[in-house]
Amino acid sequence: MTMRKRQETAGRRIRTALITMIGIVAAALAGCESPGDGDGTVINNIALPTDTVLDLFCEDVGVFPEICVLEDPANPFVTTTIIEPGLDPDNANKFQIATSFPPGPAGAKARFYFWATALARFPSGENQYFTALALHELFDANSNALGADELIREQALKAYRSQLDNFFGTVFVAVCCEDIRPPGDDRGPVPFPIGLNEWTADNLYRTEGSISNTIVEGQTVPYRRLVDGDPLLVEELLLTWGYGYEAATPPDFDNGIVYIITFP
Amino acid sequence: MKNKAVAMGDSGLTERIVKLGCLLLAAAALSMPVDSHAQAHDVITVKDDGGWRMQVDGEDYYIKGVVWGYSPRGQNYTYNLWGESDDFIRKVLDYEFGLMKAANINAIRSFTTIPPKWVTYIYREHGIMSVINPLMGRYGYSIDGKWVPFTDYSDPRTREILKRDMVEIISEYKDVEGVLMFAFGNESNYGLSWSSFEIENLPEGEQNTAKARSLYSLFAEVIDACRQVAPDHLYTIVNGDIQYIDLIAEYLPDMDILGSNVYRGPSFTDLWARVDEKLDMPVVFFEFGSDAFNARTFQEDQLNQALLLKDMWQEMYNKSWGNSEEGNSIGAFIFEWRDEWWKYLQVENLDVQDTNASWSNQAYLFDWAEGQNNMNEEWFGIAALGPPNSDGVYEARPRMAYDVIGEVFEMDPYTASKGQINAMFANMDIDLYELKGDVRMLKADSTEQKRKLQFTGGDIRAEVAFRGLEQDITRDGKEGIDFSDGQMVNLDFAFRPNDNIEGQFSINILGNVAEKQPLEFGYGDRGLPFAIDAKEFLPFVEPELIPPTTVFNDRERVEIYDFNAKYQGDNWDVEAFYHTPRFHWGYEGDFFNLVQESTDILGIDTFNGKAPAGIEIAGKGKYDGLTLVAGPEIYWGANPQWLFKYQFDLGKTEFAFIHSEELSQLDEGAFRNQAVNRVASKTTLYAARDIFKNVTLELGGIISSRERIDEAYDYIDSEGNIRTDKIEFEDTLGIKAKLTFPVFGWETYLSGHSAGLVADGGGPIPTFGWRDPTNLPYSAFGNKNEFEAGMIMSFGNMMIYPRLLYRENLIDANPDIPPNSNGSVLNPGISPRNRDSDPFAVLNNREARSAEIFFTWDPTGATPFYDWDNEFREDAPFAFNIGGTYTEFPTDTDANLFFFRGGGFNAPFPGGLPAEDVWTISSRMVINPAGSNTRIILDLRRGFDQSSGTPERGTADFFDISGKAYVGRRHIVSGYFKKDSWGPYDFFRQFNFRYPEQVNFEYSYLLGGAVLGNLIDEARATRIGVRTTFRTVDETSLPEEYLEGENDYAFLTVFFLTYRF
Repeated sequence: MTMRKRQETAGRRIRTALITMIGIVAAALAGCESPGDGDGTVINNIALPTDTVLDLFCEDVGVFPEICVLEDPANPFVTTTIIEPGLDPDNANKFQIATSFPPGPAGAKARFYFWATALARFPSGENQYFTALALHELFDANSNALGADELIREQALKAYRSQLDNFFGTVFVAVCCEDIRPPGDDRGPVPFPIGLNEWTADNLYRTEGSISNTIVEGQTVPYRRLVDGDPLLVEELLLTWGYGYEAATPPDFDNGIVYIITFP
Repeated sequence: MKNKAVAMGDSGLTERIVKLGCLLLAAAALSMPVDSHAQAHDVITVKDDGGWRMQVDGEDYYIKGVVWGYSPRGQNYTYNLWGESDDFIRKVLDYEFGLMKAANINAIRSFTTIPPKWVTYIYREHGIMSVINPLMGRYGYSIDGKWVPFTDYSDPRTREILKRDMVEIISEYKDVEGVLMFAFGNESNYGLSWSSFEIENLPEGEQNTAKARSLYSLFAEVIDACRQVAPDHLYTIVNGDIQYIDLIAEYLPDMDILGSNVYRGPSFTDLWARVDEKLDMPVVFFEFGSDAFNARTFQEDQLNQALLLKDMWQEMYNKSWGNSEEGNSIGAFIFEWRDEWWKYLQVENLDVQDTNASWSNQAYLFDWAEGQNNMNEEWFGIAALGPPNSDGVYEARPRMAYDVIGEVFEMDPYTASKGQINAMFANMDIDLYELKGDVRMLKADSTEQKRKLQFTGGDIRAEVAFRGLEQDITRDGKEGIDFSDGQMVNLDFAFRPNDNIEGQFSINILGNVAEKQPLEFGYGDRGLPFAIDAKEFLPFVEPELIPPTTVFNDRERVEIYDFNAKYQGDNWDVEAFYHTPRFHWGYEGDFFNLVQESTDILGIDTFNGKAPAGIEIAGKGKYDGLTLVAGPEIYWGANPQWLFKYQFDLGKTEFAFIHSEELSQLDEGAFRNQAVNRVASKTTLYAARDIFKNVTLELGGIISSRERIDEAYDYIDSEGNIRTDKIEFEDTLGIKAKLTFPVFGWETYLSGHSAGLVADGGGPIPTFGWRDPTNLPYSAFGNKNEFEAGMIMSFGNMMIYPRLLYRENLIDANPDIPPNSNGSVLNPGISPRNRDSDPFAVLNNREARSAEIFFTWDPTGATPFYDWDNEFREDAPFAFNIGGTYTEFPTDTDANLFFFRGGGFNAPFPGGLPAEDVWTISSRMVINPAGSNTRIILDLRRGFDQSSGTPERGTADFFDISGKAYVGRRHIVSGYFKKDSWGPYDFFRQFNFRYPEQVNFEYSYLLGGAVLGNLIDEARATRIGVRTTFRTVDETSLPEEYLEGENDYAFLTVFFLTYRF
């Protein structure tokens, strides 16, 4: 076969292939349907789990960067659109949904799935912290004087540690105290940042419960500590993670400092 | 032959070696540069029932010729190419005849006598034959050593010498390979009393008949004498039209061909019949055509030249053999190959292409006016005379006519039927050729001054700006006015390291930068101090905790402004481009407009954009139709991508396959705040075919955004349930069809476009390009079933163009429903989508029902009202359009995105635009007051329309009037008044910032510069001027101007000077 004939043959093949593709596309279009009114899954009646028994779907569920929670059939929020305030402040729904769950143990499991889902879709210190807090809450709900859920305890610790390891400098922006603004200033509540690493250490350290629930959910519910015994053991644990903690002091517990330990 | 082979086989070894040696010697001789005379061709004319044909070496041959000459800029008729070195001559010929061959030109006529070896060279290397055409004393002759400017054909000595010399010339050429025929004189019948080298010298009556008898009798004697020495050639004369046809019949009855120069406009009228009746000879036009300069509009006019040539060739083809007409056309030579800059005045202004029309011809109606000349001698080329390349060869820039005749010459009129001939002419894609011609002209204009030297010029710009706010002036008096100054230098360079690579680049250097924002943005603002304000990133942090603002000065003082380089290979051309104009591919099968136009370089400059940038590899020859483009921003706003196109014809159907693969997101949004698009690959297929006469069907399919398959989206079903679904393959598919057909002779179209949820393409190209007045709500996005119809109705000079568009969405925009829960059941709510967080969104592709009608009055169709350069070329005393668009948007949109420059990412606006009916009416007027050398252009616009982004601040109910006046060729006055309208840049409408009143005025005095149309191109002129902008502000205006009600107005005045060197 001459070079010219080869080229002609190749040209014919290309053209034949393209025309075939046209035919395939035309056939596909002829056979395809427009998205129908009833397509997809109805999601406006999501049944929330009210129990406190959590089966860990994978080893690191709820811990960045694991996203297996999106595959967990028990997760009711797999299909829920969660809009982050940082991405679309005018349409954000994250805290609206988060605060719609029942307070107390009846909402703890929903909170875990919700925040873990948010974390899987949009990694942030905020999502990691509240996932850890939800695990802490579940641990508390499943613990009593006779025993504790060791799996959940370890999971909560992993989640807290992830907050420090992966999102150390992140803050949670709270608002309050509109009345402190001068007269005529109608900008509304005053925003202020809170370091999430401090909340994390405080949640582990304090014996009477952290203040985080107070701010987020309006009530103070002391959770059972994840590290029993003297708070010095928390310092020890944090040290093994590579952090130091100067504990917050009464009455406001807002002066704690977490720092990264560097060894000579 | 067989016997010879046997004999060779029988010979001995020595004899075979000798014969082999002879063969090798013969082969070597053939391969040597041509300097010997080979055998002549067998050129004859034959006649049968179908008419006349020319045959060369036994094959039918229709002359598809041009009149060729090589006259560099700065030279005149005294220039002698043949006195140059062989190497240089070869470069000239290869360049010139390579271009001709590409246009299927097969013969030339030249006023100069081409040396025999070069006649053969041209034929062997390029297949183009030459007419040997001694002028035979047409412009004077040397008689016995004395120059006689006006040849007296009745003088016996003169006749003897001319006859002797002509025989000598013919003897020299009679055996030269590549000679087509011999012709004598050049409109010698027009030179019986006086002479000129111009072709305008039409005769005045028949007073010279007696002298004509001398002329034609001499022609007869010369031809007879030449036939004595070269009997097997064709002979003719080059007559002026068919004047003295009776004398020709009397004196030259056995001449082989009637050669004639004919300038009768689009038709040769009765010439064919008269020649047939009186001479019974085949006809060859040795000159005909049209100039490419419009004497009325005072501008280059490629279109009318091309259309006239097209009509002329169509008539010639119809008059050729076998079409049941006279059958006496055997071809012609277009006058001429390219412009010659010496033709007017001949010894003056040789470096300038003179635009003076030196004679009048009413047959060329496109620029004829009573009492005025309209034939521009220096503009007859089908190619313009360009600057020299690195070889010193003056380049030819093909005009539109080059492409038109290229297609015409592809057809053999002897083998094509009359129907096929006329169908070819009827179906010619004139728009494409016009665009190609315009593009070449633009490129030539932009690079004209950049190729002569390494450093090719530039400009220095200086300006002084005064900017102020009412609040500051009230408070501080004169101290409240900001004063700043700016300087800028542009340096242009060209390079051509070898024959295959050439290019140019420009460097921009900033001095100070005048502070004009936010009233004006402009190129050079990159040098303004840049502040990093941490408050922008920490909006919730108390100010005292935030580090102070950091200001960076003296940034980016020097940058490459543009760059373009092209490599021309045998099979591929490669072009690198950076911030130089590029056109869309709408005429090249890009039915979905994947490659968008980036020609508004000044607009891109406004926000320091660098697009377009990339590299293009285009196949040619056996790879013709293949194109690959890749780059970081191949058009303004494009993501980094590569794109492949393959165009081909199959039978009568044109196909195009395009695939684009985006590699990442663009770093920064175009025009300041346009959202950057998510990465999306696209594949399209396109087919177009003329299914009946004047009926064209175009079909296209697209697969787009396959990256979004399996992405989830929410919507509300008809029962109010919130549902979630995922993008599937079928959601990436789209199909589009357009049928164009005549109704009562008016071009009409119907189109339909069904696109899946993510089947995004590019925005459609309006009928008239960017100057199209349409305000139909076109969209590039998918999620639609869209139908459009339009009809271009012409009533004399009035055109009425109604258009209708209907569009529905497959899935509507989302409402804003907040989440809620009863403790055990959660309704997560739903909110408007955006194109970052969701796979698709309903934006400008929203449901729409739109109707539009525009009336256009343009009494001078040669300067189309909607051409991109109409501002510079419109020549009607009064041309205008007026029309309006009414659109119902029955549904809300999702949320538009904008590019947040502070953070370097997209952000959504708060919610979508509401359902609403909107409308606009507009009018554009061009006025050329008689005798005033003034042009006035007015644009008026009244409307009720929405923002293009945010729903905040409501719908605009606005009125705009803008205008520009060119007074003489020195003064430009322009300005606008806007009432309740958006600010002057796109982002004002995006953010819906409006002003109660805006007034702008600018005056420029031009001190010289390049000509564009019949005006000096202000963008490339030395000029001085002043510009001022004033606007009042209210709560809909930019916050930094409104200042929460503390400020009433803002103003800016700029004095500027641009000096070009």
